[in-house]
Amino acid sequence: MLNRRGLLKAAGAGALLASTGLPLTGCGRSAGGPDGDLRVVLANHVWTTAIRKRIPEFSDLARRRVLVSTMTADQLSSTYNVKLNASAPDVDVMMYRPLQEQLLFARNGWLADLTDRVSSQPGYDWADFQPASRERTTVAGKVFGVPVVTERPTLYYRRDLVPDGRPPATLAALFETAVRLHNPVAGQYGFVGRGQRAAAVSMFSSYLYSFGGAFTVDQHSGVGTPEAIAAYQYYGRLLREAGPIGATNMSLEQITPIFAQGKAVFAIDADAVYRNFIDPATSLVGDRTGFGAFPAGPAGSRPFNVPSWGLTINAFSERRDAAWEFIRWATSREMVLALQAEGVPGARLSAWRDPAALAKFPPDLAASMTASIQTGVGADRPDVVQVGRARDIVGRPLVASILGADVAAAAADASQQLDAFLVRDARQRKI
Amino acid sequence: MTATLPKSAAAPGTAARGRPRRAGARMSTGRLVGIVAVAVVFTAPLVWMVLAAFKTNVQIGNPAEAVVFTPTLRNFGTVFEQGVFLPAMLNSVIVGVVSTVLSAILAVPAAWAIGRFAMQRVGNWVLIARIIPAVSLLVPWYYLFAQLELVGGYTVLVLSHMFVSVPLITWIMIGFFAGLPVELEEAGRVDGLSAFGAFLRISLPLATAGTATACVLAAVFSWNNFMFALILSGENTKTLPVALFNFISYASVDWGGLMAAATLMSVPVVLAAVFGQKYLVAGLTAGATKG
Amino acid sequence: MTATTLRQEQRRLKWAMLSPALLFILAMIAFPLVYTAYLSTTDAFGAVNAHRSFLGLTNFSDALSDTRRFWPAVARTAVFTAAAVALELCLGLAVAMLLRRPFGGMRWVRTILMVPLLATPVAVGVLWLLILDPTVGIANHLLGLVGIPPQPFLGSVAESLPTLILIDVWQWTPMMTLLLLAGLSALPEEPEEAALIDGASGWQRFRLVTVPMLMPVIITSLVLRSVDALKTFDLIYATKGPGGGSSNEAETLNVYAYGLTFDYQEYGLAASVLVLFTVFIVLIVIALRRRSAKDQP
Repeated sequence: MLNRRGLLKAAGAGALLASTGLPLTGCGRSAGGPDGDLRVVLANHVWTTAIRKRIPEFSDLARRRVLVSTMTADQLSSTYNVKLNASAPDVDVMMYRPLQEQLLFARNGWLADLTDRVSSQPGYDWADFQPASRERTTVAGKVFGVPVVTERPTLYYRRDLVPDGRPPATLAALFETAVRLHNPVAGQYGFVGRGQRAAAVSMFSSYLYSFGGAFTVDQHSGVGTPEAIAAYQYYGRLLREAGPIGATNMSLEQITPIFAQGKAVFAIDADAVYRNFIDPATSLVGDRTGFGAFPAGPAGSRPFNVPSWGLTINAFSERRDAAWEFIRWATSREMVLALQAEGVPGARLSAWRDPAALAKFPPDLAASMTASIQTGVGADRPDVVQVGRARDIVGRPLVASILGADVAAAAADASQQLDAFLVRDARQRKI
Repeated sequence: MTATLPKSAAAPGTAARGRPRRAGARMSTGRLVGIVAVAVVFTAPLVWMVLAAFKTNVQIGNPAEAVVFTPTLRNFGTVFEQGVFLPAMLNSVIVGVVSTVLSAILAVPAAWAIGRFAMQRVGNWVLIARIIPAVSLLVPWYYLFAQLELVGGYTVLVLSHMFVSVPLITWIMIGFFAGLPVELEEAGRVDGLSAFGAFLRISLPLATAGTATACVLAAVFSWNNFMFALILSGENTKTLPVALFNFISYASVDWGGLMAAATLMSVPVVLAAVFGQKYLVAGLTAGATKG
Repeated sequence: MTATTLRQEQRRLKWAMLSPALLFILAMIAFPLVYTAYLSTTDAFGAVNAHRSFLGLTNFSDALSDTRRFWPAVARTAVFTAAAVALELCLGLAVAMLLRRPFGGMRWVRTILMVPLLATPVAVGVLWLLILDPTVGIANHLLGLVGIPPQPFLGSVAESLPTLILIDVWQWTPMMTLLLLAGLSALPEEPEEAALIDGASGWQRFRLVTVPMLMPVIITSLVLRSVDALKTFDLIYATKGPGGGSSNEAETLNVYAYGLTFDYQEYGLAASVLVLFTVFIVLIVIALRRRSAKDQP
């Protein structure tokens, strides 16, 4: 009886049945079982490039095929979000950002507990990892990940353009020199740095700490304090008066080519990517680039020293043992030392103490890095579950400053918002 | 080009202008300038893309080397050496062709039914799909297809692309079918054709122009679809737009590699345009309904 | 064949022709629609499986009273769509009229015209990002040659949305042209010939004869393009990144909903924004089709 109403009713009923009959809980679905291929998801990063070459070795050792996916950091987040929400078992080893995703993923129950694994294997030496890094991947006493890369900000500068060929030691000196050498008409910017809100917050944290501020103080907002306002004002002025146009759209990918093509005198960004600044294939000024420690602010030189990336195991993986074997192999003393010698700064103290590995970095960079490790702060963003929103809140005064708007007002407003946010976020923290 | 056209369309524009105008006859300067301007505006950025594909990243940023520079093939090497590009292209082709063909089979009859019989209200349901933002579909779909163990294979990609193509083709074709005079089909009925036969033998051939346009567009959208592929594809079924982002790494955008990949990605599509264009031209000028 | 059996046969046929497409669509959207509607009434956060409480319509009232992100996103969506589609329609029609009568080399112009719309949106986005890059891009260099100071384009808060509109116009005008050309070719010639004989000028013929006849195709193209423009995502994501830029200057509703889902993991709020967004689109489509129904009694 094909009349219109009948058909519509049937279609509607069928659709409704189908949709309500499928509760969104994880069911057992196979992705190859315990002996299947190991699926590793990695971010586009210098560490990934370095480890990829060696993965065939691991494949032979473990007698197991390894399927590697690489993508940008944003795509990685989206992918994890979708897959882990559906309790997907088709990812085993995940590269993630302990400072961005740790709390959220742990709270969601998406990460496997590695506490026993890291401490029970002889020769692995979990204590060899930098204490601050270890803390970052531990939540409520449980270890959820192993850090593979650590980063600190470093001052990249043009030896041929700065007075005496020496980098400024204080933020005030940096500002003064950058403004003096800023000559946009001739294609030379005094300073390039991140201005894109979310990305800039992490770099900005060093300035904040060096002015004596902090994102949060005792569960309350710290961005409305005079020190924080001073930091916001400094960074904004620096970019406004000595920086390139379009700064608020710039992240690391835009900064690197500007400096590499000789159009900037100073840049401050992560040290892990120093190769892009000096490699002759990508840089015109590699031979003239120097590395300095993060300049000191009123509260001293307080850059961050964080594990930017780590490896973890999907809680829904069917091959946790194999996944752990991969992680153990990729983060062993020998491997980290080898990668360090290739210029990838890792998280193991032994690698940092090894003079041969350290010698592979340009000497002034090595000096800057070791200095930062001593004085570094272990976080570069607010320590909350919902990092995305927090970053946007604390980034707003930063953008206002870069654009020349009223910083004090923006900071006060952001501070209020952050306080309200922290209350909500605290409720989400249960692991 | 005009050899197979019915007489009525043999010399379009003849009567309207009051003087004969053959293709290639003198056209007004204004029109010529206009056409050249159009051609330049739409080609210039793409020419830039192709030029950049042959430059190193340093050369790209150097305006002095905008047009005259020593080309390099390194970018193309980078694109291929990762072994990702060709498989991705194959995947894009497979998914594109299959989804477009299946979508046309579903959509063209549906469009005829809606356009011919003015079934607007019901027709809206098919078009609703165009309106739903893809973001609201991603997580539920991923879950649904994971339950059916279809994630990462071609099936889920084809289905998700069909979800975009079916409404698209339907939407375009409704207008074409609605514009066909009913008398033509009725004449066929009088001659003894069944209702379905009238559709098949009379309306469908007349709508070839629209069908071709609609299918080309559907195939294009499938080729370019990014969001679905990002989430629903697996290692072996990754399509080209997703593979493009391999060139955006942590610290720098490999402009040269990116432009090389984009260029390569556009080559098959441009070729398809050149050949598909013939269908469009023949269809468009093949004397559509004239009274 | 009697009238009634003819009608019955037609009725059976039309449903048989329509059903496969209809069922396919309904099957694909049923679950997501119901699920999104459900989520929008909860405070789902972090993981969709995690414990969540029923909130009724709180998410909706939160979204609708949010003047910081929601309403500006609505405004940007409306502005972007209206400006882009209007420009695309006008330019598309102009180019279609230009190419309507055959001329030598016509095939090549048509092929050229097809390339921007065939190009992958994310690739187009990245290409324009390169061309308009304030420091290494060629656009500022060219502007400099005629004495205009370098512009931030996509790097500035004020210039971003207009720049995105222009990029969208560049990419999609050819599609309008294509559809309108197909429509123009199907038009009967007599009315225009008659108008010419009656002494109407070119512009009068265009405005009073061609355009009204072309109206169904114009409306179809308009609706088609508008729905896509409202949902523009790839372009904004590729050029401005998450959140539509540092001051959310390019954050349209789609970008906002994506951000809520993937950057903030606030699924409940995201679902309510998506519901509101869908309603918004539906209203626009209905309005446009009412307009078209007026033209076709």
